[in-house]
Amino acid sequence: MDYNKCAKEILAAIGGKDNLISGAHCATRLRLVIADNGKVKKSVLENIDGVKGVFEAAGQLQIIIGTGTVNKVYDEFVKLAGISAASKDDVKKAAASKAPWYKKAIKTLGDIFVPIIPAIVATGLLCGLLGGLSKAFPNFANTQIFTLLDMFSNAALTFLPILIAVSAAKIFGANVYLGAVIGMIMIHPNLINAWSVGDGTNLPTLWSWFGAWNIHATGYQGHVIPVVIAVLILSIIEKWLHRHVPEMFDLFVTPLVSVLITGFLTMTVIGPVFSQLETWVLTGAKWLISIPFGIGSFLMGAAYAPTVVAGVHHMYNAIELSMLAANGQNIWMPIATAANVAQGAAALAVGFKTRNKKIKSMALPASLSAFLGITEPAIFGVNLRFVKPLIAGMIGGACGAAVASIMGVYATANGVTGVFGFLITTESFFGYLLTFVVATVVAFVVSWIIYRDKDEEAEEAPEAESSSDDVEVKAAEEYDDSFVYSPLKGKAVLMADVPDETFATDVLGMGAAVDPSEGKVVAPADGEVTTLFDTNHAIGLTLDNGMELLIHVGINTVELNGEGYKSYVSEGDRVTRGQTLITFDIPLIQSKGYKTVTPVIITNPDDFKSIVKAADGDVGFLDKLISTEK
Amino acid sequence: MKEFSYTIKDEIGIHARPAGNLVKLVKGFTSAVTIEKESKPAVNATALMKLMSLGVKCGDTVKFTVQGDDEDAAAKAIEEFMNANL
Repeated sequence: MDYNKCAKEILAAIGGKDNLISGAHCATRLRLVIADNGKVKKSVLENIDGVKGVFEAAGQLQIIIGTGTVNKVYDEFVKLAGISAASKDDVKKAAASKAPWYKKAIKTLGDIFVPIIPAIVATGLLCGLLGGLSKAFPNFANTQIFTLLDMFSNAALTFLPILIAVSAAKIFGANVYLGAVIGMIMIHPNLINAWSVGDGTNLPTLWSWFGAWNIHATGYQGHVIPVVIAVLILSIIEKWLHRHVPEMFDLFVTPLVSVLITGFLTMTVIGPVFSQLETWVLTGAKWLISIPFGIGSFLMGAAYAPTVVAGVHHMYNAIELSMLAANGQNIWMPIATAANVAQGAAALAVGFKTRNKKIKSMALPASLSAFLGITEPAIFGVNLRFVKPLIAGMIGGACGAAVASIMGVYATANGVTGVFGFLITTESFFGYLLTFVVATVVAFVVSWIIYRDKDEEAEEAPEAESSSDDVEVKAAEEYDDSFVYSPLKGKAVLMADVPDETFATDVLGMGAAVDPSEGKVVAPADGEVTTLFDTNHAIGLTLDNGMELLIHVGINTVELNGEGYKSYVSEGDRVTRGQTLITFDIPLIQSKGYKTVTPVIITNPDDFKSIVKAADGDVGFLDKLISTEK
Repeated sequence: MKEFSYTIKDEIGIHARPAGNLVKLVKGFTSAVTIEKESKPAVNATALMKLMSLGVKCGDTVKFTVQGDDEDAAAKAIEEFMNANL
């Protein structure tokens, strides 16, 4: 069956994309919400090849297509109709498609990393604390509680590829569980832990490509980029197979073949490439730090963070171990500290400077974790996304590393950096302190100067800051029982003009709608919360004058399942005039393809003689919106 | 008096739109119709706000009680509505 043709014909039969409000699909049906049902040619729809039935229900035009095919028709339909009902990710992709490739790549990495930051921060902090405690109290490391906590602390980092793979699978549109499997393959217990490999000699090898080259049987603990590449390959193979494998085999052929090919390519091609890169990086790093007068360290301090980004920094502990073996002086660790705390400081500056709450709430914990030696949240979650802080961190890292080299700072052990590094640099305390301070201050100042909120990020801020405040009721303002005062700010809209049949034809009751300019709903009068949908997109109030009022934010927004909505009251609560009930994210809701026009409906219209819209054009909070007569 | 139960199959449950349509349907009959969700007290099926406040979700079972002159027709229409929409 030709999905594209089917979708095209459906779109034509419903009166084109202009007549479509939104679309979704369930297991068997396309569920479309139509602006004008008069334009829908039902008989034409029923005769389209692939359509098994058509009926109208619950205000939706439901087109039965069948399991397994409906999603494919839907995919085509979404493309043709230009609706973005599917997901935010599609919208993001569309937005990103104009940017140059490296920006897209950086943005994608950020998008992948952001959702898993809480996991990394939790374990990162625990990891740093445990590392510090065990250096301060050597006996602590031998206790059973340490063994237990140590397990908690390194789980997320040990299994990082699984977290990355799941997040990447979501971004690339691959099956999330197959993505997880790829992540699991990459850190399978039968492979040697990448952190314990050392300098790469005497590793067991595995067969590949008929012996053309051998691969090392090492895992990808702590890796980022190879995992992302692997999942990208998975998504390409999986999508291709979905299109080309006949439906009846799709369910077992596609996952099997996707995992097989991706796994094989990952282990035999991506793996060797990265292990070769790591070897070069190791050689390069050794050569760099041998340049005297702090110059080599300066360069290494700058280069350190990019090697973390590329995921080729895992063999650095080999350098440290060989230094400790040679003369007991680990001069690598101060360089790593400078680079790490500088990234943390750069993220901290972003956190203080930004007016965007989301970035702020991410930058601060990420930065703290970097000071304890775990830099991934700061680098991937914040600095790399905006690039400039990363550069600021590199500059700070370089300066700090140069100081360390000139002062001859060295550690007497390895395994920790950052704040806890003081515990293993007791021989050169002041040098280490100076390294730390220089790296932090330089990175913070540079980042503070060069980082600026982009327009889109700044715009969100004032709205987010004011959004949950209650609206003040002016004392002098007279209150007239026969009016409904606007719970929203925006443009007053006639109910009949709401692009949804159920509302427009007064099925739910009578009233008026507001096309909101600010994402907040306040109580229009004193009363009680009768019903609050757990998706927070609609709220029913019983006002003290007996009026029942339903405020339904957006059209079909029940399908968002609460995303973009936040409520500040619960069922049964007493509310006073002007009190904030719900806040909602207008750009987010619109980016998902939903309209935010909000019907304000009197659901007991039978108790009134007349209900008329009483406002034209712009209305503010608690302006008169509807007039009634009993 | 007629009574019957229905288990919701729709993923979203009785949200604003189906609730409104159900109320509209029930209002077309003279019979008194109540809806009851498990432990909660029965509500009048023409009271939209009360109906919505039942918070009926996918998998919930609701009990309808229909009483009046046209109870047979009303019960049949409601059952059809539920089957088609929920």
